[in-house]
Amino acid sequence: MQDFLESIENSGFSSYIRETPSVLGYSTVLALHTFGMAFLVGLSGVIALRVLGVVPELPLKPLKGLMPMIIIGFWLNAITGLILTSLAARSLLANWDFYVKLVAIAVAIVSLQKMRGYAFRDTSAPDDAPASAEARRWAKAMLFFWGLAVLGGRLTAYATYIRIQSAEAVAVAVILLLLLARYLVRRAHRSHVEARI
Amino acid sequence: MEAFLRYWMRWPSVEGLIYKYLWVWGVCQSLHFVGMVLLIGTVGILDLRMLGMARQFPPAALKKLIPWGVFGFVLCLATGLFFVTGIYANINVHPYVVLKSDVFLQIKFVFIVLAGLNLLAFYATGMSRAVDRLAAGEDAPPLAKFFAGASLFFWIAVMYFARLIPSGKFQP
Repeated sequence: MQDFLESIENSGFSSYIRETPSVLGYSTVLALHTFGMAFLVGLSGVIALRVLGVVPELPLKPLKGLMPMIIIGFWLNAITGLILTSLAARSLLANWDFYVKLVAIAVAIVSLQKMRGYAFRDTSAPDDAPASAEARRWAKAMLFFWGLAVLGGRLTAYATYIRIQSAEAVAVAVILLLLLARYLVRRAHRSHVEARI
Repeated sequence: MEAFLRYWMRWPSVEGLIYKYLWVWGVCQSLHFVGMVLLIGTVGILDLRMLGMARQFPPAALKKLIPWGVFGFVLCLATGLFFVTGIYANINVHPYVVLKSDVFLQIKFVFIVLAGLNLLAFYATGMSRAVDRLAAGEDAPPLAKFFAGASLFFWIAVMYFARLIPSGKFQP
C-alpha cells in the first residue's frame, strides 16, 4: 500500500504540481479548493440560515435555484481535494485528522441532501412558511459538520497535540456560539411573528 | 514611517499568546475561513441574483443577509489583524518585512480596497435603491450587473491572492 501511495506522490503530475515554482501549481490548486469551499459551504449555509428561521424574510423556494452553484462548488472541491491528497498521500492518509475531515464532509453532504429534500418538498407551501422540524434538524447537522470539516481541513497541517488542544478550545467556543445562535434565532423569529401581526 | 510601522505592526502581547497557546493560530485560521464563507455566501448570493441567477428572489429580501456578510468581514478583519501583529511568533519574520516584500499580500489588500470602493459606488450611484425596488423575476439594471460582477471578481481575487501569500518572497 505504501509503495502504491509513494508512486502516486512521485508521479509526474503530482511532482509538477508540488514542485513547480509557478504560482499556477500548488497555490492555484489550493486557491480553487478555497473557492469551492466558499461556494459550497457559503451558499448551503444561507439555505440553512433560512431553514433555521434566522432570516425568515427570505423566501424559501427560490433558494433551490442556488443548488447548481452548490454542486459546482462541491465538484471543484472534490477534484482539487483529490489533487492535493495525491501530493502528500502517505502523510495525509496516516493522519487521523484527515479522516475526521472526510467523514465530516460526507455527513455534511448527506445532511444537505436531507435538508433540501425536506425544505423544498411541499411545493404548495407559502414562501414565508417556517421549515419543517426535520429540515431544521438536518440544517443544524449540516452546519455542525461543515464547521468540523473546515476546522479539520485547517488542522491537518499541525502536530497531533496542537490538534487536540484546538479541538478542546473549539468545543468550548462552539457551545458558546450555539447559545448565541439560539438567542438570535428566537429573537428573529419573535420579531418576524410580531411583524406579521 | 518605517520606524512607526515597525513599532505598531508587531504586538508582543499577541506573539506571547501564540507562543503560549499553540492552538490559537490554527483556530484563528479556521475562523478566518468561516468569516470568508459567510462573506461569500451572503454577498455572493446577492451578486449572483443581480447577475441573473435565482431570479425568483426579490433582491430586497436578500439584503437581510448583509449583516451576516458584515459579521463575516469583521471576523476576517479581526483574525487578519491577529495574523499580521503576531506573525513574528509564527515564522520569525517582522510583519513590516512581510508587508513590504510579499507582493501577493499587497495585491490582496489592493483587491480588498477595490471591493470596498465598488460597494461605495454601488450605493453612491443609486443602484442599491434601484435593486431594492426590483420584484421577483425582474432583471437588474446593467450598471448593477457590472457592480455585481466586479464584486464577485474582486472577492475571488482576494481569496486567490490570499492563498498565494505563503509563496511570497520575504526580503528583510
